[in-house]
Amino acid sequence: MKLVKNSILFAALLFSSVLFSCESEDPVIENDEEVITDVTLKFTELDGSGTPVGDSFEFLASDPQGVELGNPTIETVNLLKGKTYRMEVLLYNSIANEDITEEVEEESDEHQFFFLGSGFTSSILTIAYDDPSGENIGLQNILSVSASPGANATELRVVLRHDLNKGYPGTENPNFTNFAQAGGESDLDITFPVQIN
Amino acid sequence: MKNIKLPTFFLLLFFFGAFSAYGQKCDLAIRGKILHQENNDPIEGAYIWVVESATGAVSDANGNFIVKELCQGTYTLTIQYLGHKEIKDSISLTSNNFTKTYRLEEESLDLGGVEIHGHKLAVQTTTAVTALYGEALLEARGESLGESLKRISGVTTFSTGNSIAKPVIHGMHSNRIMILNNGIRLEGQQWGAEHAPEIDPFVADEITVIKGAETVRFGPEAMGGVILVNPAPLPTKKDPKTNFYFTGASNGRMGNVSISHANGSDKIKGLGYQVQASAKRAGNIQSPDYYQGNTGLSELNFSGSFGYSSQKLGIEGYYSYFNTTLGILRDSHTGNLDDLINIIENGRPFSDPGFTYDIINPKQVVSHHLAKVKSHYHLTDKWKLNFQYGFQANNRQEFDKRRGDLNAKPSLDLELFTNTLDLFLDHSLKNEWSGSFGINAIQQANSNIPGTGVTPLIPNYDMWNLGFYIIEKYSKGPLEIEGGLRFDTRSVQTARYVDSELQEADLSYTNFSAFIGGFYQISPKVTFNSNLGTAWRPPNVNELFSEGLHHGAAAVEIGDADLNSEKSLKWVNELEYDGGRTHLQVTAYANQISDYIYLNPTGDTYVSLRGTFNVYEYLQANAFFYGFDFSGSYVFTERLSAYAKGSIIRAKNTDADNYFPFIPSDRMDWGLSYQFGSLSNSKTNKVTLSNMLVARQKREPDFDLAPAPDGYALFNLAYQRQFEIGKNKLNLGLQVQNLLNTSYKEYMNRFRYFTDDMGRNFLLKLNYQL
Repeated sequence: MKLVKNSILFAALLFSSVLFSCESEDPVIENDEEVITDVTLKFTELDGSGTPVGDSFEFLASDPQGVELGNPTIETVNLLKGKTYRMEVLLYNSIANEDITEEVEEESDEHQFFFLGSGFTSSILTIAYDDPSGENIGLQNILSVSASPGANATELRVVLRHDLNKGYPGTENPNFTNFAQAGGESDLDITFPVQIN
Repeated sequence: MKNIKLPTFFLLLFFFGAFSAYGQKCDLAIRGKILHQENNDPIEGAYIWVVESATGAVSDANGNFIVKELCQGTYTLTIQYLGHKEIKDSISLTSNNFTKTYRLEEESLDLGGVEIHGHKLAVQTTTAVTALYGEALLEARGESLGESLKRISGVTTFSTGNSIAKPVIHGMHSNRIMILNNGIRLEGQQWGAEHAPEIDPFVADEITVIKGAETVRFGPEAMGGVILVNPAPLPTKKDPKTNFYFTGASNGRMGNVSISHANGSDKIKGLGYQVQASAKRAGNIQSPDYYQGNTGLSELNFSGSFGYSSQKLGIEGYYSYFNTTLGILRDSHTGNLDDLINIIENGRPFSDPGFTYDIINPKQVVSHHLAKVKSHYHLTDKWKLNFQYGFQANNRQEFDKRRGDLNAKPSLDLELFTNTLDLFLDHSLKNEWSGSFGINAIQQANSNIPGTGVTPLIPNYDMWNLGFYIIEKYSKGPLEIEGGLRFDTRSVQTARYVDSELQEADLSYTNFSAFIGGFYQISPKVTFNSNLGTAWRPPNVNELFSEGLHHGAAAVEIGDADLNSEKSLKWVNELEYDGGRTHLQVTAYANQISDYIYLNPTGDTYVSLRGTFNVYEYLQANAFFYGFDFSGSYVFTERLSAYAKGSIIRAKNTDADNYFPFIPSDRMDWGLSYQFGSLSNSKTNKVTLSNMLVARQKREPDFDLAPAPDGYALFNLAYQRQFEIGKNKLNLGLQVQNLLNTSYKEYMNRFRYFTDDMGRNFLLKLNYQL
């Protein structure tokens, strides 16, 4: 059985000489740069001429683990009946310590907020885009609370669309419920409870 | 269970065939089989002469022969075949069941230009095998591997749009089947539903599908079947051959060119080379009513090989490079469950951007390098030592629609290195026995390349797999019996960070697998084969450790590190009839799988700032797959012929008594061909009208995002003609796919949720052979 012996020897030789192994890299912690962990609604009361009155106040929706697997905490928005507010939306990524508001502003042609929910359908709230650039982004808006709301608890749904067709008919309306028709995808979809006092 | 009875019937036939003929004095027969000593290939056309009776026979395509009307007595047989050593054998004939196998050894004979080299390493298996080559492959040129293979009955695709198509054999795909690129198991990121095989079909001269469980021969994961993509054998002497291919398609305005050149040395005998390159570019695909946004692709591939072969030694080096950029339908990328529901309700994409070649995010950029060396050495005329080493580097980048600079960064960036080593010893003993013993080693390293700005979906890992196997075959006359055993051991080490904490896992799996198969030639026209094999598949890393969002499905997928290996038992039977006018092939199979791994909707949803997502988890259950494929043709007249092929699959979760998603529905394809021109010349000049019928998948899983789409019927028209230009040949193909521009959705296409399939497509296919 010299043949078999030789073969085994040959095999062992080839095995040891030829097969070089690569090793996988050590894993690296990856900061989620894409996610928005904190969404702040910043309200400033405006008087009849549109001039800010008093201090601004904020309500936060946050999800420190990131968008995908978290369990968000959403604060209740407290507003006063009959008042008009400047409502700014501030976006922040606490994982990568990055201000996302600016990024959205820079890509104003690809982003747009829509404001929906029972607050608008029941006419307790009305909203208009008021972005300084004049484009409809929804980072800055004018929100009015009805002087005689039928209820004191309602909802405000904030949807951020990305990569939509901003020329699509209807998108000029911040309450456009068929925003999906304009294409794109949702980066945010948060429903804030609202308390009217 | 009708189709399970069929094989039993033929098994009975088989026994009758073998034992019914006990003859009288002078009507005995000598039966036999002629094989190549070299590679066990049957030899067709060998001449068998019985000296005493002065009668003879010629072996058929399966190497079988029969010399009839002989009396009892002693005879001298001479067996001759060009370029092979003559065999003289003295036999004593007493009964009618005499059969013997002869192996012809190649002679180094220079027959004035007619030189025969037998270094072809074909797959020798008793399982159901179907190959795509010659004219059928010519008609498929320009299509992806998955699309091309749809021409074989029992093979369908699991696709993501029109550019990503994964082959499905008997209902199994991804890690449950195996693809071999010139003998090396293709190792990419096959686990993903939207990860197409990284292979250019233009490297192939022949694509073979083995429908049986072949883990013994090829290693773990070959549960459903194996696809062999093989280039033409290298030339061994000066004989320059150049092939030029062009495919143009109206839909997607696709252009595809390929050129290949092969030649051998006139100085050194046995030295040859082959080079090949192809490029492909396509833009947005058009459905009947709209363009699908961002569905273009671009591809650039190259391969080259050289080899040397002599009487004793064969060496071959091979390298192939595959590179593709694939656009992913913009609207398939959804932000949350609401987005997904909206587009499913809409039934088509919201956007219709018209035609463009531009590819934007979301897209995939994939490259794959494969290098191998292969060698064999004839230790003696009966023992051959084979060695094969392959190295593969796969890089997959997936880009999502993100914000600002992040768009330039891939969201998924994986690099996979694979080393494979095969060492096996072939033997073909006197006279009936042949087989091989082998060792197979696979080593893999998978890394997430940092800098994606996204938590990786799967961990980094290292994998080792070592397998030992033995396969033995007994061939006598019309009968071949084959059996094999294999032992595998695999270890996997993974590492990743979860919430800034390093998590490591060390897993190991071992398994025995075995198969037994038989091939019997019932009559010169009818053959039957049956194969029973076990197979296994260790859980894949994504099934073990996935934890994250799958954008296309708006789903959070959760792995389970405690999953067991899947184990299957597959029984495949194939009956083939080849009579003058009629050709028929029927394959019936049953596959019992324990611990089948599948993605199950939990019914829960995750609520996040981005919206809501469905949650899926990987579970295991026992599964039973069965079904049959058929393909047949009939020649009515010299000009008119017809064909039909189809497949039926049933797959069930036998634990939960429900159905798995994405199992192909019943389908058939039939057509009529008419041959023009002079009947005396063999050049193709024919037109084929075909009709594809696909039923609705009525066996749906309990949960799906959308119900299965309706059945559909498509008509296709093809014209194929061969011209001779001097010594060269020009093959011209004109095709119209989806002739009536029918709007339809295919159940096996994941984009059925978002869009209709492709509309009408005109194709021009040219092949010029120098």
